[in-house]
Amino acid sequence: MDGSGLVTNPPPQTVERPVSIHGEAEIALKVLGLEKVFRSGLRRRKTAAIRGISFLVRRGTVLALLGHNGAGKTTTLNCILGLVKPDAGQVSIFGYDHRQRSSRAKVGYLPERPNFYEYLTGRELLTFYADLLGISPRERSRQVDSVLTTVGITARADLRLRKYSKGMLQRLGLAQALLGAPELLILDEPMSGLDPLGRREVRDLLAGLRDSGTTVVLSSHIVPDVEILADEVVILREGLLVATHRLDALPRDCVYEVRLGELPTGDDAADVLRACRVVRGRGGGGPALVESCTPVDLARLLDVCSRTQIDIHSVQTRRHGLEDLFLEVMGEQKVPLC
Amino acid sequence: MLRRIRAVALNTYRETVRDRIFYLVGLFGLVLVVSSAVLAPLSVGAQEKIVIDVGLGALTLFGLLVTVLVGSNMVHKEQDKRTVTTILAKPISRREYLLGKFLGLSLTLVAMLAVMSALFVAVILATPASFGIRYLAAFYLAYIELLLVTAAVVLFSTVTSPPLAAVLTLTLFVIGHLSESLRSFGALLGSPLQARLAELVYYLVPNLEMFNVRGAVVHGDTVSGEHLLLATAYGLGYTALLLIVAGAQFSRKELR
Repeated sequence: MDGSGLVTNPPPQTVERPVSIHGEAEIALKVLGLEKVFRSGLRRRKTAAIRGISFLVRRGTVLALLGHNGAGKTTTLNCILGLVKPDAGQVSIFGYDHRQRSSRAKVGYLPERPNFYEYLTGRELLTFYADLLGISPRERSRQVDSVLTTVGITARADLRLRKYSKGMLQRLGLAQALLGAPELLILDEPMSGLDPLGRREVRDLLAGLRDSGTTVVLSSHIVPDVEILADEVVILREGLLVATHRLDALPRDCVYEVRLGELPTGDDAADVLRACRVVRGRGGGGPALVESCTPVDLARLLDVCSRTQIDIHSVQTRRHGLEDLFLEVMGEQKVPLC
Repeated sequence: MLRRIRAVALNTYRETVRDRIFYLVGLFGLVLVVSSAVLAPLSVGAQEKIVIDVGLGALTLFGLLVTVLVGSNMVHKEQDKRTVTTILAKPISRREYLLGKFLGLSLTLVAMLAVMSALFVAVILATPASFGIRYLAAFYLAYIELLLVTAAVVLFSTVTSPPLAAVLTLTLFVIGHLSESLRSFGALLGSPLQARLAELVYYLVPNLEMFNVRGAVVHGDTVSGEHLLLATAYGLGYTALLLIVAGAQFSRKELR
């Protein structure tokens, strides 16, 4: 990724090169020109799920796939893991072709809405997954205890899974993904099904993993979570990669939202309002919501209101952020740039 | 590789145990006791034969029931509930996974047949009949037959829906027992097309009559070692072939 801005509406054909180049040894995951068409029904009607998606994930970073439902996030992750066979494109995980079994040895995966064997207890399930990873019996027991503690379900570890809540299953899913100390975590909507406290705990956990050098690829449509966790974001729309961005390169300017009793009038007020974005109340009369752009504009607006004795109900600060970028890329809202 | 396959196999076995599939064994025991109590007095002088015939038949039938009930849904259920995705995201190949599922169900059948055989022997000992070593050959061949049927149901379950997989497996079981008769019948019909069709079915469908030594055992005949070896090689060879096809088919599946 170039980390500098938007890549809007790329052509749907296969992308030959990744969006940025890093040293090969630094790359945890390389996805080049991934395409997948699903065929369904008697007539084998074609639906293009992803169209020529390419991106790189550097070791120790968090990359988020962002997009609405049906944008192609889960299909991309499933293609990476070999659960779905791509029609075109290449995927390599730590330099190994993703079709090789060994490429998944260092990968932990949490699917969206994870489902597990209900007849097992949490501990039995994790022991089963540890066996699949080839972890020795002594180490297995230690690791199972460790991940149970990490996700905070040790007290329920010996309950059958049919008694687990959705949030607990999500935590258990995360626990199985953490077994074997994976170097790459692929998480499909990791925060879904969790209450606010659970979301915060998972966010903190993922931030801790990132800080300890684990590479994380996650999909989400919850922008604030992504904004907190991710280093880089890939925005998908209708199977196309429409934007990539480094989050540290996002503009961090502030906008101010001012709620007024009614809009100020007069020539000097008109001058001020031209520099602002009036969200509500332009027609005059009644309460107004004004989005000012710069601190200078805000000061002038407040001055006009003070002189014309307009009520100021509130002044709120809002940062330009990923949500604005996301909405802009999706063509849903144009945010005035300061 | 063995460790991964063993993990899937043991888990599949645990699933069948916890799904209370072994309740069927109790039903088997009931059928055995009731049939020997009801049928034996009706056939004076043939009580032993009746008990053995019904017992061995029920043993195969109940084994078949478990194979079809569990096997037809085994892979599909995991796809449907998406429990398979987290498993196949680990370093295990799809063929290893499928082999593990097959071995797990085979293990269930071993356990079931062992318990049913023990019940069978207990019922025999409770009647004037005596236990003969030839019964073990019948148990063994019933197991080899069920292994083959299990491989078939695993294959069908990878290519079609559970109900259809069950129907196909039962059809295979019936035709497999009738294939020799079908071939002879086809030859008698006089039409070359029908004769060829019957011949084709004979060669395509496994000959399950090879594993049926009930008649011989009931009449006190011993089963030759040669037949046991031949039947074992035939059964395991067919099983391996079906599993190879099933593995190839499952490897192509999209697991969304």
